[in-house]
Amino acid sequence: MKYAFYPGCVSRGGCPELYPSAVKVADKLGIELDELKSVGCTGAGVLPQNITDPINARTFAKAEQLGLPIMTICSTCTGVMAQANYRLKDDPNYRAKINREYLADEGLEYKGTTEVKHLLWVLFEDYGIERLQSLIQRPLKGLKVSPFYGCYLRRPPEAITPTKELNRRKAYLDELIGILGAEMADISGKGKCCGFPILSANEENSLAMVAKHTGESKEKGADFMVTPCPLCHLNLDGNQSRAEAQTGKEIDLPILHLPQFVGLALGFNPNEMNLKRHIVSTTDVESKVSMMS
Amino acid sequence: MQVTFKVYRKDPEKDGKPGRSNYTLELAEDATVLDALLKIRDESDSTLAFRGCCGRGYCGECMMRVNGSARLACTAKVPDYIKKGPEISLDPLRNVPVIKDLVFDWDAFMWNKIKEVKPWLETEGSPVNGENLIADAAMQDLRKVMSCFYCGMCDEGCTVLPVDFDFLGPAALTKAYRFAFDPRNKDSREQVKIVEKPKGIWDCVHCYEADEHCPRGIEPTKRIVALRDRAFNSGITHEAVARHHASFAASVKESGWLDEGRLAVESEGLTNVKGLMKLLPTAAKALARGKAPIPYMHSKRPDADKIKKIFEKAEQEEK
Ligand code: SF4
Repeated sequence: MKYAFYPGCVSRGGCPELYPSAVKVADKLGIELDELKSVGCTGAGVLPQNITDPINARTFAKAEQLGLPIMTICSTCTGVMAQANYRLKDDPNYRAKINREYLADEGLEYKGTTEVKHLLWVLFEDYGIERLQSLIQRPLKGLKVSPFYGCYLRRPPEAITPTKELNRRKAYLDELIGILGAEMADISGKGKCCGFPILSANEENSLAMVAKHTGESKEKGADFMVTPCPLCHLNLDGNQSRAEAQTGKEIDLPILHLPQFVGLALGFNPNEMNLKRHIVSTTDVESKVSMMS
Repeated sequence: MQVTFKVYRKDPEKDGKPGRSNYTLELAEDATVLDALLKIRDESDSTLAFRGCCGRGYCGECMMRVNGSARLACTAKVPDYIKKGPEISLDPLRNVPVIKDLVFDWDAFMWNKIKEVKPWLETEGSPVNGENLIADAAMQDLRKVMSCFYCGMCDEGCTVLPVDFDFLGPAALTKAYRFAFDPRNKDSREQVKIVEKPKGIWDCVHCYEADEHCPRGIEPTKRIVALRDRAFNSGITHEAVARHHASFAASVKESGWLDEGRLAVESEGLTNVKGLMKLLPTAAKALARGKAPIPYMHSKRPDADKIKKIFEKAEQEEK
């Protein structure tokens, strides 16, 4: 099982704990990663489509040459690429235009066959839950966990949940929490936005969203929240103390990346999953986990 | 069939405190929620206030929450709900100023915001015989948007409105799109500039909730994204957003990917001491945990020059 690995900027920039954790987990699972190094940023929903569609088409063409589907570890990368891929696959004339005007110079062509998948989708759709279950060494019993998807991993339907069967994607994280032995502390905003995209335009609203999601999770008794999106992590973890200051309420909720969460269940210790690198202290989670093994 | 409705009540002429009234009634097998409300008002409680008009899902007047989700009362079939239980709750939309019972302030909720985006056409030259004729094909895209019947479902589903009621919201921003993208509009930036102000397009988190809620398939989020892309391509006028986007673009253009340290610093503005100070506590914590990306130290991706070439060509194309 092999993927063209697109780690994204944040997994090595703002969240440098993510990349090595994901690589270790993939290795343990026996998922082979061929990292795409000479490709560009997806645009992260910041840059306009007329610029990012050609850059993303180039990424898809590179993966197509390798004959591999793309795997990401970021909801935003997945969402932006899946939307671009939908446009390119859906409209052959548009694809031909992008090929002609932007990719032909390099002798590249995107034929429209590349698939883009988040690690979360890979686990359920390609890897198989039974196989994952057989590798669990430390069921995370007694931990209460809130899911937080990152809105790019939920919508729009034509890119994210194109068939009835794939509607299940909206529940993968919920299911995974149970599969890894933990208990779910469900929150109403798990599929909503974390506020990160408007941090520079309206910080107050952005931080209010952080406070709402993390506060609700804490009230439900969660030990931590898990997210497949490092941009959500930047806001929910990195800006949680500012959200606390804005609302005058202590929250103190650790936020784990998806691979860290899976990694703990696979038997990695918290240090190997770089939990120490978070802004909100993970000490309580670490001690609970160490008592399990 | 016998059904019980638990209806939200609030009467400003009494104590103005929210409460609930229960009504149990016998209904025809094909009754809608609006039929039930009319029956309640006619037969058991003439003080119950609600709106309703066309009765066929066209006017959008009877929008309310049925069992928690926004629906048009006139198209919500009672039998569909009682399959799940004999009681049905009716409430006004979330986050709206309620006037009485199920009647809420549409002006504050939507109309005042729509008025803000200058929802009319200004053309070059004067109309011929009072009409601004245009080829049918040129209006294809807009026709979809023009089917908006102001039901407010998109605003109801919006992620930002619950934290900030002053946000213009998807319905008004979609209206801005309708005029900004009308080929007859003499200044294609007019509405864009209006919605670039605070509480407009840059406050949208583009979470695509609105698109999932819109019953007409208008895809309000895609319209907002199109307005943002037009703003980007013609020069963003919102200062903080312009800095953020310029830094993002420069870093992708120069290195192929994002320099996040640089983005954090440049988004605040290199001369904005107060803004930069604000970053310090988080930056210090991040540094202590070995995770703060150092601005301007990040390396180029292989093929960065090729990505730059695509970037510049696409920019050129748009001009
Ligand atoms: S855009 Fe759609 S959801 Fe929003 S008011 Fe118009 S019809 Fe209703």
